[in-house]
Amino acid sequence: MKLYCLSGHPTLPCNVLKFKSTTIMLDCGLDTTAALYFLPLPLVHSPRLSKLPGWVSKDGAINLEKELKECSGRVFVDSQPEFCLPEKELLDLSTIDVILISNYHCMMALPYITEHTGFTGTVYATEPTLQIGRLLMEELVTFMERVPKAHAATCWKNKEIQRLLPAPLKDAVDVWSLRKCYSMQEVNSALSKVQLVGYSQKVELFGAVQVTPLSSGYSLGSSNWIIQSHYEKVSYVSGSSLLTTHPQPMEQSSLKNSDVLILTGLTQIPTANPDGMLGEFCSNLAMTIRAGGNVLVPCYSSGVIYDLLECLYQFMDSANLGNTPFYFISPVANSSLEFSQIFAEWLCQNKQSKVYLPEPPFPHAELIQTNKLKHYPSIHGDFSSEFRQPCVVFTGHPSLRFGDVVHFMELWGKSSLNTIIFTEPDFSYLDALAPYQPLAMKCVYCPIDTRLNFHQVSKLLKDIQPLHVVCPEPYTQPPPSQPHRSDLMLELQPPPMAYRRCSVLGLPFRRRYERIHLLPELAKSLVPSEIKAGVSVATVSAVLQSKDNKHVLQPVPKPAPVPPSKKRKRVMEEAPEVLNPKPLLSGAVPLEPFLAMLYKNGIREVKVEETADGHILHLQAEDVLIQLEEDGTHIICDNNEPLRTALRDLVLHFLQKL
Amino acid sequence: MDSECLALLPAVCLVLADPKQSPPDDTSLEKLLDWFKELHSQSNGQVLLQHQPCLLEFISSVCTSKTTDHAILAFTLKLTGLLAATTQGFHLLEEGGLLVSVFEREAWCVCDHWEDASVRSGWLQGLLNMLKHQQALDFIRGNGLIKVILQLQNDRSLFVACLANQLLVHILNFLTSSNMTNGSDAVGSSELSLRPDWVSVSSEIMNAVVEALSSEDHPQVLQGLRLLSLVLSQCGEPIRSTLWKDVLVPLEVLVNRGSESLMKTLITVLQAAVRTPLLSQSEYKVEVLLEAMLGDGNRKEHFQCAALILKLEKCPEVLKRKAMNIILLPLQCVSTQPQAEKEIIVVLKEQLSQKASCISLLMQSLSSLAELAHTKYLFEDISIHSVTSSVVLLLRMCSGHCPSSLLHINAFTHLIGCCKVQRCGLDTLGALSVYEENVDLRKDIFGVLLDCLQSPDSHATVMKKTFQAIKRWIVECLPFPDLLQFISHDLFPVLEKRLCDLRWEVRDSTLEFITQLTAALNGYSGFTEALHNSGMVSVLLSSLADAEGYVRASAVAAVGEAVTVSFHIVNNNNLLEEALVQMMSVLSQDTEGFPRRAVVKVFTSWLRGSHPITALDSSLSSVLSLGGNDFDWEVKMHTLELAEMLMEKTLTCCPYAIQNFGSSEETHFTQALSRLKAYGLFDLLLNSLFDCDRPVCEKACGLLVKLRTLTAETADLNHSAFVLNVCGNRWENEVQRRCLKKQPAKASVCVTNLVSKSDEETDCDLHCSRNISLYKILQILDLDDMQRMLTLSSDHVVNSPRSLMEDILSAAQQSEENIVDCY
Repeated sequence: MKLYCLSGHPTLPCNVLKFKSTTIMLDCGLDTTAALYFLPLPLVHSPRLSKLPGWVSKDGAINLEKELKECSGRVFVDSQPEFCLPEKELLDLSTIDVILISNYHCMMALPYITEHTGFTGTVYATEPTLQIGRLLMEELVTFMERVPKAHAATCWKNKEIQRLLPAPLKDAVDVWSLRKCYSMQEVNSALSKVQLVGYSQKVELFGAVQVTPLSSGYSLGSSNWIIQSHYEKVSYVSGSSLLTTHPQPMEQSSLKNSDVLILTGLTQIPTANPDGMLGEFCSNLAMTIRAGGNVLVPCYSSGVIYDLLECLYQFMDSANLGNTPFYFISPVANSSLEFSQIFAEWLCQNKQSKVYLPEPPFPHAELIQTNKLKHYPSIHGDFSSEFRQPCVVFTGHPSLRFGDVVHFMELWGKSSLNTIIFTEPDFSYLDALAPYQPLAMKCVYCPIDTRLNFHQVSKLLKDIQPLHVVCPEPYTQPPPSQPHRSDLMLELQPPPMAYRRCSVLGLPFRRRYERIHLLPELAKSLVPSEIKAGVSVATVSAVLQSKDNKHVLQPVPKPAPVPPSKKRKRVMEEAPEVLNPKPLLSGAVPLEPFLAMLYKNGIREVKVEETADGHILHLQAEDVLIQLEEDGTHIICDNNEPLRTALRDLVLHFLQKL
Repeated sequence: MDSECLALLPAVCLVLADPKQSPPDDTSLEKLLDWFKELHSQSNGQVLLQHQPCLLEFISSVCTSKTTDHAILAFTLKLTGLLAATTQGFHLLEEGGLLVSVFEREAWCVCDHWEDASVRSGWLQGLLNMLKHQQALDFIRGNGLIKVILQLQNDRSLFVACLANQLLVHILNFLTSSNMTNGSDAVGSSELSLRPDWVSVSSEIMNAVVEALSSEDHPQVLQGLRLLSLVLSQCGEPIRSTLWKDVLVPLEVLVNRGSESLMKTLITVLQAAVRTPLLSQSEYKVEVLLEAMLGDGNRKEHFQCAALILKLEKCPEVLKRKAMNIILLPLQCVSTQPQAEKEIIVVLKEQLSQKASCISLLMQSLSSLAELAHTKYLFEDISIHSVTSSVVLLLRMCSGHCPSSLLHINAFTHLIGCCKVQRCGLDTLGALSVYEENVDLRKDIFGVLLDCLQSPDSHATVMKKTFQAIKRWIVECLPFPDLLQFISHDLFPVLEKRLCDLRWEVRDSTLEFITQLTAALNGYSGFTEALHNSGMVSVLLSSLADAEGYVRASAVAAVGEAVTVSFHIVNNNNLLEEALVQMMSVLSQDTEGFPRRAVVKVFTSWLRGSHPITALDSSLSSVLSLGGNDFDWEVKMHTLELAEMLMEKTLTCCPYAIQNFGSSEETHFTQALSRLKAYGLFDLLLNSLFDCDRPVCEKACGLLVKLRTLTAETADLNHSAFVLNVCGNRWENEVQRRCLKKQPAKASVCVTNLVSKSDEETDCDLHCSRNISLYKILQILDLDDMQRMLTLSSDHVVNSPRSLMEDILSAAQQSEENIVDCY
């Protein structure tokens, strides 16, 4: 049982579990932080970005003017942004049987895995995960394809050149594994391999293991997975949340009694409490609007945005923001807002109950109805004519490298009245802002990460008591920026097994049993005999059949009647004749009664000698030795078969036969 | 009233003594007893017993009845004690043998009564009531009741045990007060020279205390200690020092044993001892005991003890310093200060590594420090700087900042985000502002306070405490030029953000803070300018439209205060105008009472200010009319307070002018009245006089009485010159009705005689005239009678002893009727 770790990113995991005879991939997250090395892709021609000087090394030896541009004192790659894929060399991806997806953020690398690798298996995910995941992929593809770049920069990746580049490019790791975004066709093909599952649904994999998704409380349709056989249980905990937000609450009790718990997807900002951050978000937003400025919120088009809109819906009136327009701009804005309303069964209880009233579960429906929230696929078209300031704009991508947000950065960056509020924790906001410096607009960092924090997870682990915990390496030490915060790490007994990218871990398992079924007719033929109170034993003679990882004991087939042909070859092929086995003996031979029995049978002269394991009886007249030991009795008598047989029968008299 | 009650008494006694009647509830019996007490204090018991033989019959019947209720028996015990409190009453009761049959429980017909705690308590209370003369003490001693009282000291009912202790103290006090009239308070100055039979009483009690303290039984020790502390605080010499001498040995044993559960009680005993002259006499070892209690700070209880010692009012300085050193240890231990490199005690280290004890120790440390600061205690062994820095550091740790060298990593993780320690620390930091030396640390202090305000995770209560601390420090740092810089550059932006907070509590406390700060810095032009230039005022104005009523109310107060401090500033008119428009809209349209009340209060405070604002004139009449017609009685009350202020300002201003220019007095006064009339003040007062809410009527009545006095005092005022229009006012009917009721005869006379040019003319014309002079109206309304009626509480009729007795009687009758009905 092994775990292959294809990604070192704690919240964008991609691990492969070899369990019994199956190969299961757990999530396939796509690390998009490499996009920060690239120049933003402006949707509208930007004179500033188009006039950036090319980069030439100080001594003039390296000239990458076409590929690298200097912007605000830093060097960026002028090419379509690329992403860091899960490791492909650690094992043959075509051997993967199934991929289990835990939430829509953790499936963005799916097309890279399922396409062009020879993958022939099935992907399991819940319906909201599939649908919203599709939206996010579609959005990503649109963002990229809307602003095509003629050339892909590759020279800078040359090892010799890279090490001479300024930071952070020279420190970038695995640059050769960076890949550009997939196409819509690849997305469709990848998603066609998804099979939908519901919470607590048991899915059999080749009869060997059973996998079950459980609600994880993090996002619509997000799940943790249980992978179990009859005697082993592995839990896979990915992005989970105990906060009361929109999704169904986390199911914890089913995670109990796991042999191994693979723990990923804890909060990325353990020091920021989501409630406090939400408050910060609202007050900064209100302050900016009151002062006549605009607010830009770079965000993903699904997830926390629903909670933000709900919070603002309640806050707007109290902060006198009733007339401020909110804009949500994304190629999938409309679908995202509408999808959220139709997945009622995946929502928390109070949102579910609204559906029966009937009311839309999320209040953003009302915001749209009253024209307070408007959504557009892009800044082009209707938006440009209806746009009114001051306003609040929600748009992607949070990396500020592509998507409509690039335009707003160019538009609003110069005024100190405006504010950009970062709510997504995936990117360093300072790095994200780097190509826009100098920036006059105010910048507020309110990362809202509802995933489990260390305090919650240690309480959870105390509750569910797994035997072993496997987690990404960063969880086993305090954050590098706060080395004194020993409360921001996992402290467990036994210590968790840590993994990093490309680790291969052998998972410790205690039990080594297989379940075998007994057919009824075979069971009927058994003769159990009680050897001690409550314990009966019986001998079984049967044929063990193993098929599809299921093991069945069948009655021994009766010997086929001797066929008329007497060819030797046929005889050899027949099933071997099954002999009735000798009965098994159990019990012990008690010394005194045995001596009495010998006496009764005329053996009078017996010398008893005590040994470490029992006794040796010397029948002096017959010159026979009987060794009575705990697990065996030996009769040593030379050339007197009748006497040996008689003595044997006397011994058997005291024993039970099965 | 009493005579009516006394007439009812025999019947009441019969009802109470009747075992068939269910007894009245405890409250009624207590009220009846209160009435007896009052009666007793007015006259003497003899009169009552002699004139009311029914009482003796009642007592005797209760004692002899086999079916008496517990409640009635307890009542009888207390009543008998009360009646026997005078020697005459005592003799009357003793003669009939009633005293013995009441207080000797062997004489009771039913022994089970004693099992009821209320009866035992009544028995003790009865003796306590009785113990006013020597015969009473002789009775108690003679009948061996002391023993019973001592037993009750360990009663399972805490009330009974406590009462027994009180009675014992009362007995001891009585022994000394009645015998040792000349005894001085100095310790040991006089020997116990009591009557020999009384000596046995005192020694019996004292021996019992010594025995209790030496006992192994925890509750008994506790009761002994309680009695000891009562004796120390309530008894004089020589009882006090004699007892102390006797208990010193067992007390030392208890102190040295250091039991946690006895800690508080032992400290109470020592606390009582410290307040007595025993402290100054070394042979009484009070200080030694206290020091032993304190130990060397290596046990958890020692910290508790140190905290208690610091609370002692009269505490020897050496001891106090030692306690202070111990109590500050946890604080110093957590926040590593270079000066505090003391040997850290192992136990303390262990305590600090556990979350619960770490927090409680630090809170004890912080609150004791705050208490010391309140008394401006002079720290000698340790610099106040380092103590204050420790508190600052602790608060930093609570917000997750790690000090450079950390001694207690565990303690640190317990502290992160711990609201309790934060609140306590902020209180202490605020209290430490009394030390002038600390102003050098203001940068650090304001820094940490600002951190608390900025942190998104700060709890609303932490925020409130931070505001309190900031206010204290700002007031202390007023003379420093960098303060304004801090306020306008650091504080105001944070406040602005907090005014947009999601939590209304935070918005509310921010506004309250701004109001207090503005009031505290009134007169500092720099602050007022900063308030205007930073745009804070417009933020305050926009808070007037907050969704939460409480916040709107606080915003009204804040805007009011901002306007007040801005009177000196030229071009203040814009602010005032805008504020007035918004406030009037709050007063007329707000759906909640708090903001409307706040608006009226702001107007009152504006008027109270030394600079009258002429711009208010146009709004005042609207405020008075809107406020007077409000649905909320508190708004009406505040409006009347505004009216009072208006009267004060209008009628009594320029007293010198009135005295010097007598001739112009009348004109001035009439002019002032005309102004008040123009404001609609008289309509307000007269309408409010007949309001449905009693406090409103009472207030209006008071103001009208004041007005009447002022009118009468103004000698030459032509009373008929100043008239009010009656018609169309709410009070019209009421005034006319009273007028007709009061003078029907006069009216008819004047109608028949057609007298003219007289006062009567006005009277008789009242019902047909539109204009009546104010003076006349004030005369017609019987204001004094109204005021008397209004001051009586609304339940004054039903709360009298007579109604109580009637209730008891009618309840008895009704129950009879009910029985008849049932059959």
